[in-house]
Amino acid sequence: MTQDTKPKTSGPRTNRRNLLLGLGGAGGALAALGAPGIARAAERQVADAPTDQTSTSDRVPFHGVHQAGVVTPRPASGIVAAFDLVAQRPDDLERMFRKLTERAVFLTGGGPVPELDPKLPPADSGILGPEIAPDNLTITVGLGAALFENRSWLTPLKPRQLTRMVQFPNDALDAARCHGDLSIQFCANLRDTCIHALRDILKNLPEFMVVRWVQEGDVPIVPPSPDGEHESARNFLGFRDGSANPDANDDALMQDLVWVGEADGEPAWAVGGTYQAVRIIRNFVERWDRTPLLEQEQIFGRKKASGAPLDGHKESDVPHYANDPEGEVTPLDAHIRLANPRTPEARQHLMLRRPFNYSNGITKSGQLDQGLLFIAYQADLEKGFIAVQNKLNGEPLEEYIKPVGGGYFYVLPGVRGPDDYLGRSLIEAVRATPDTAT
Amino acid sequence: MTFKRALCVGAAAVIMTMSTPGGANAQDASLDLVEPLARYKIYVATETAKLVKDTRAFTEAIKSGDIETAKALYAPTRTSYEKVEPIAELFADLDVSIDARADDYEKREADPSFTGFHRLEYGLWEEGSTAELGQYADRLMADVEELNGRILNLTFPPEIVVGGAAVLMEEVAATKISGEEDRYSHTDLWDFQANFEGAYKIFDLLRPLLEAQDAAFVATVERNFQDVYDVLKHYEDGDGGYVSYLKLTDGDRTILSAKVNTLAEDLSTLRGKLGLG
Repeated sequence: MTQDTKPKTSGPRTNRRNLLLGLGGAGGALAALGAPGIARAAERQVADAPTDQTSTSDRVPFHGVHQAGVVTPRPASGIVAAFDLVAQRPDDLERMFRKLTERAVFLTGGGPVPELDPKLPPADSGILGPEIAPDNLTITVGLGAALFENRSWLTPLKPRQLTRMVQFPNDALDAARCHGDLSIQFCANLRDTCIHALRDILKNLPEFMVVRWVQEGDVPIVPPSPDGEHESARNFLGFRDGSANPDANDDALMQDLVWVGEADGEPAWAVGGTYQAVRIIRNFVERWDRTPLLEQEQIFGRKKASGAPLDGHKESDVPHYANDPEGEVTPLDAHIRLANPRTPEARQHLMLRRPFNYSNGITKSGQLDQGLLFIAYQADLEKGFIAVQNKLNGEPLEEYIKPVGGGYFYVLPGVRGPDDYLGRSLIEAVRATPDTAT
Repeated sequence: MTFKRALCVGAAAVIMTMSTPGGANAQDASLDLVEPLARYKIYVATETAKLVKDTRAFTEAIKSGDIETAKALYAPTRTSYEKVEPIAELFADLDVSIDARADDYEKREADPSFTGFHRLEYGLWEEGSTAELGQYADRLMADVEELNGRILNLTFPPEIVVGGAAVLMEEVAATKISGEEDRYSHTDLWDFQANFEGAYKIFDLLRPLLEAQDAAFVATVERNFQDVYDVLKHYEDGDGGYVSYLKLTDGDRTILSAKVNTLAEDLSTLRGKLGLG
């Protein structure tokens, strides 16, 4: 290992956090007013706008009980890639998982690229130079329903709620941007780091996988405000997105809402994983920009400038719908009110959103093709994304958005150490199942 | 590392850039390559002669207004061209004239520069008429004869031949797997088979040299080619050809795509393995 690949504590950011915690009187007091599980102000949250306090030497540990890239604060750049897999036998799937693990360990850890005979194609695309910096890269791997359904030896082991993503009423799904046997979410400080990782995996695993669709996204970097508040990043409709996310720093809460546990009725191999819902949601931005501000705010249920709920003053304020039963302040069909009415019942539908904004050029009609690469994690897909989306069906926001792609995936349990590999518990479960361990 | 020295004749005919000391797997592959290159030249000449003959029958059918015969001859005629594409492509003017697709032109099918096989394919399948095709048929015949003449006089550059196996896979990966190559006739699987055969021919001729230094590599590449042929077998039409590309299942397309990408990666190392720059 060279010096550059050592895990460095990202000095500035750590200091910053300490500083913020030291100032945390205000933030802590505000958090105490908030509903349980709602993000506290002073800690970095998954959907906070990434700060400028980052370095290419920042490293997110790859190994752990859970995969990184779920409760990890979202960096500025993300890609979701979906693949179709070739493997028709457990041995081939295991080889693929091991190879994928090997690449992910290298890419997230960084290090020098091997030098080959210059008469041969180089081992690496070279777009990050001869030394790969970890740059906060996370590589998060999930499996789609098709992988299980098209292989009889995997079918009995399919996570209970893993299905092919259904078409919701407002969707106009493009088959070329939906579903897949496997998803990989790449997140890093820099876009090039994500692209490098994607290209590395395509180059090193061609015999196992064929890319099906790719969606890149990013979120704007925003320096923390002077009062220590971290703000959620804005989406391409100009509103803050992720404000009411559950607190990703609350381990018990994440265990409850995000990570599948032993009591969740999922196959034993799946414990430690989570459901990933990915949606490519086009925004009709020209039309949105021609919509009166008051109407925009009524549609979302938040003030555009501050991100505060309509009955509040700042983003972290919690709306009090009980005081507004007729929807005079916040319309009953406002996006955030439908998605989370802040009732005791609503808590079970919480999910961890970790979206990116995307810009794909223009459509055939000459309109900007921009939108949200929505990514959400939850232990219970039906109670999480599916239930919330069903509540949102018919919302006024639908006039301005059109989901066109995505898929549901089951994020594998974490890789616990150097001898472990992605998907090990699944492969072992296959081998332990009579008649399938061929 | 030892190399079986090919019994070589006419080494002087092969112009080689000498490999740099220590930088290559093969110290001096020039003599070893003489025999494979000579045999490849015969292969290409044979295929090009067949292309001339088949193109004559194809274009005559068009000129006589026999649409059904012309349609039946379209795919088999192209295969000779597809097999030797790494060499044919050396003549960029002819390659554009013979094999460009509509989307190589800003005005697509309406572009007056759109000629060759795919213009004729468009006429036969989309326009359903040979009325406008006579000039394109004449042009194709002349181009193919010109190509044949140029190839006969060509000294085959070793790096082009050795690199050609990978080039064919890149062709398939970049423009064929989507079914856009023969988009009017959907005869893409004929092209696939020809591209694979052309790549396999190069690999097979180089096999003795490769086996000497990396037998495992040879076995892997061989297996990947066989996997491709196994998939293609399911789509044979029982009459020496292939069914419509639209019949290819998503699963088989995934397998073919993975194999093409894997072969492209593996075959991209051939030049380096043989010490060619």
